Amino acid sequence: MSGQTQISPPKLPLRFLRWFCSPELLEDVEGDLNELFLLRSSTNKSKAKWLFTRDVFMLFRPGIIRQINLFKGQNNNVMLSNYLKIAFRNALRYKGYTSLNLLGLVVGIASCMLILLWVNDELKVNKFHEKGDQIYQVFRNMKQSGGMVNTTASIPKPVGDLVAEEYSEVSQVAQLSWLMNMDLKIENEAIEEEGRFASPEFLQMFSFPLVIGDKEGALSQPNHILISRSVAEKYFGEDWRTEAVGSTVKVEEQFDVQVTGVFEDTDEKSTLDFDWLIAAQAFYAANDWVEDWGNGAFETYLLIPDETKVQAVSGKILMEIKDHTKGNPNSGDEELIIQKFSDTYLYSKFENGVVAGGRNDYVRIMSVVAVFILLVASINFMNLTTARSSRRSKEIGLRKVMGAAKKSIRVQFFLEAIMLTTVAVAISVIVVILVLPLFNTIVDKSLILDFSQSTTWYFILGLIFVVGTLSGAYPALLLPTFNVIQSIKGGIIKQSSFAVFFRKGLVVFQFAISTLLIIGTSVIYQQIDYVLNKDLGMNKDNLLAVSLEGDLASRLETYKSELLRLPQVTRVSAASGNPLNYGRSTSSANWEGKNPDEGYEVNVILTDEDFVPATGMEVLQGRGFDSQLKDSTNFLINEVAAELMGFDDPIGKKLSFWGIDGQIVGVVKNFHMRDLYEPIAPLIITCIDPSASSLVLIRTDENTTDALAAIQKVTEQVNPEHDFDYQFIDHAYAESYANERTMKTLANIFAMVSIVISSLGLLGLASYSAEQRSKEIGVRKVHGASIAQVLMLLSKDYGKLILIAFLLAIPFGYYFTQDWLNQFEFRTALNPAVFALSGLIVLAIGVITVAAKSYQAASVNPVKSLKEQ
Amino acid sequence: MGKSSLGEFEEVVLLTVAVLYENAYGISIKEDIEKRLARKVSVGAMRTALSRLEKKGFLRSEFGDATPERGGKRKRFYKVTPHGKKALEQVMETRKKLWEAIPSVAFDF
Repeated sequence: MSGQTQISPPKLPLRFLRWFCSPELLEDVEGDLNELFLLRSSTNKSKAKWLFTRDVFMLFRPGIIRQINLFKGQNNNVMLSNYLKIAFRNALRYKGYTSLNLLGLVVGIASCMLILLWVNDELKVNKFHEKGDQIYQVFRNMKQSGGMVNTTASIPKPVGDLVAEEYSEVSQVAQLSWLMNMDLKIENEAIEEEGRFASPEFLQMFSFPLVIGDKEGALSQPNHILISRSVAEKYFGEDWRTEAVGSTVKVEEQFDVQVTGVFEDTDEKSTLDFDWLIAAQAFYAANDWVEDWGNGAFETYLLIPDETKVQAVSGKILMEIKDHTKGNPNSGDEELIIQKFSDTYLYSKFENGVVAGGRNDYVRIMSVVAVFILLVASINFMNLTTARSSRRSKEIGLRKVMGAAKKSIRVQFFLEAIMLTTVAVAISVIVVILVLPLFNTIVDKSLILDFSQSTTWYFILGLIFVVGTLSGAYPALLLPTFNVIQSIKGGIIKQSSFAVFFRKGLVVFQFAISTLLIIGTSVIYQQIDYVLNKDLGMNKDNLLAVSLEGDLASRLETYKSELLRLPQVTRVSAASGNPLNYGRSTSSANWEGKNPDEGYEVNVILTDEDFVPATGMEVLQGRGFDSQLKDSTNFLINEVAAELMGFDDPIGKKLSFWGIDGQIVGVVKNFHMRDLYEPIAPLIITCIDPSASSLVLIRTDENTTDALAAIQKVTEQVNPEHDFDYQFIDHAYAESYANERTMKTLANIFAMVSIVISSLGLLGLASYSAEQRSKEIGVRKVHGASIAQVLMLLSKDYGKLILIAFLLAIPFGYYFTQDWLNQFEFRTALNPAVFALSGLIVLAIGVITVAAKSYQAASVNPVKSLKEQ
Repeated sequence: MGKSSLGEFEEVVLLTVAVLYENAYGISIKEDIEKRLARKVSVGAMRTALSRLEKKGFLRSEFGDATPERGGKRKRFYKVTPHGKKALEQVMETRKKLWEAIPSVAFDF
């Protein structure tokens, strides 16, 4: 066969052909194709190859594809195909029920998929670092004398230095500053960018990819800066790859640094975000306070390659600060703890110095919701299938008479469930793809269903298997037990009381879950409402914060008087931060009668004399600042501070901190400097140095848009070189609860989903029982029952079930919602009305569903229903 | 009619097999149809038609020789069975009757 070497049809299609083609046809078909190929390749070889491939695919059709023989020599596959055929026919015959069933499953599965996509995304945050398992972050627990513990990530610099030098278990220590807003000036173009100072080890420890530059040397000198790709593009245009590195950047008009590299923009997969990185040495050189053991500075990360040594490190590091500040009069009672960096996102909340959850709570809640919804959808399937099983009784009976074992009937119903689930999952995937853009805007993420990843496929297959098994299990167990004679004889099979009881139990379970979700939603709603509308101790509406850029703070008086000339502006005050999100504190405050052994962390707001009227705070005792009275060494304190200091009458008492000696002139009403998860901290307000402020608070009239425009104009006149940077205090406050509001929306949506699915199931059940009882209804009507009476009769049963579900949901609802509320220091009280209302909503929806269906049955002319037979 | 019915394409294939007589195998049938009827025939369509016809009993087949241009694969030669002949005749009969039934004025345009 010398000619054989000349024939070289494409290999892959040929292998495909050999794989699928039925063996009797293969030889001939392959021969034909070869002959054709030879003929065609005499004119055009590549076209012949292409035509060959096309022909192979055209051959992939029934009649040519081999029979799939999973169980060769048995007739199982015949039976299997029969099961599928029957399932298909049944599904088509009762289109209404099938679509109810499918709709429930699709809504359930799609919701579940969306939630799990979200959960999966949450779990991925900060997980992309190659050495992620070995990175630990240091936290500092500052014990207050009141028994409270403040936990912070800002660690004194000597701690990191000591660990790097003396701890053999730790191979690297990286220090990273908090996010700072700095002016970067490149070739006379100044833009404000957010970034961080970082020690050289930072890039080696974390896997932030560099586009240009090397991780070893990029931050080794104090004058090194790395910028993000987008910043590079902004400054250098298209040629950033060649121009960026080596150019000089002036930072804050103060010092020059050289660009040594460009890194990829940080994305939402990382909680560490920055647009520039400057060598930490530059910061240390300019701020010698960082060398003190008592001053919290940068975030500190440790690389511990050997996991077994983690325990040893955490034991050793615990007391380092205390040991090194012994004898220092201002030393606090402090401990250091370490936490795996990859856990810091989900477990970010500390209570009394130990991890107490965080975002993980939401991840858990949502996972539970996903499972619940899936359960509710599966239950629908079970109920609809078993309730309507008498329709299939003849078929089951006949199969049994023909010798089918219980096992094979079981297999049949399992297969049926899996078939329907597969269809439902396929539709759900499409629905998810369509809904994802909307969902992404709600949760503020960029989730995608990535089909190129094998996990997605495992997930989909898993979903089919789980839902199919779950919803097929009960019908598969129940239906084969039907008595042969009864089912053949036809008529309605009386189902065992257990089956009926079980079905009712499932309905109760479904509605209990729906009620639970609605209760949860309402409580979350109430709490968010409470948070957003709580009296915070100051008036946050129409209050604008404009940051003092450049040297504007030194020209504060001019700026203020310019602002006050605007008709829209009523009050202006400088302050060292947003009073509703404030964290500057001191542990060196001293006052009359303070026990020198006790350390307290007290917040300090630097401001001017107009602070109290501008923010709308209330002075409870004494007086506020007065520009006439030379108040620069007089202080205001809040109620918590007054209590802490133990003064009955604080007015006139001596107080000192930061080397300022003065006295207390007034007490302001408590206001919330942190979110409502936390108690209100003690506070001192001083007006000693208004030029140390970082922003001005401007009280405007109701028309904030006009006011904003006017203020912007004035600011740009006074301070032309800098951007106008502002925020509305109430917006910023609402923004800080973005998570909670997202959860509120999600909880709302999924509570709805759950109730919709439950109602679908109920609709199916109700219409079935109405159908079954059509004769009874007919007889009753003939004897004079009114439509209303019949309606009552049909709805009563389900009403009872929903009531039971409601009663069951109450204790669980109470437990879970109280548990959630407890993490808020300030919370709304659980309102019984919420429970009642939730129950009422579910009851109403359920009853309306049943009644609508029953009304149809009840209004039928009895002649019609009685005539049959 | 049921199983013995003939589709239009099947009829063409069956007739072609008869035309080619001793030399009716995959490629020759395909080429003959393409030549005579001036239409494209895909290997897949023809192959399905052939196996369907064989299943219905209109055709029978046997293996012939292997040739080098077929990569050492044998040809499968097809022959029309008496059953197939009857089916073809039946189709022709029906057509003929229909033609005869057409009133002469019907085609006066």
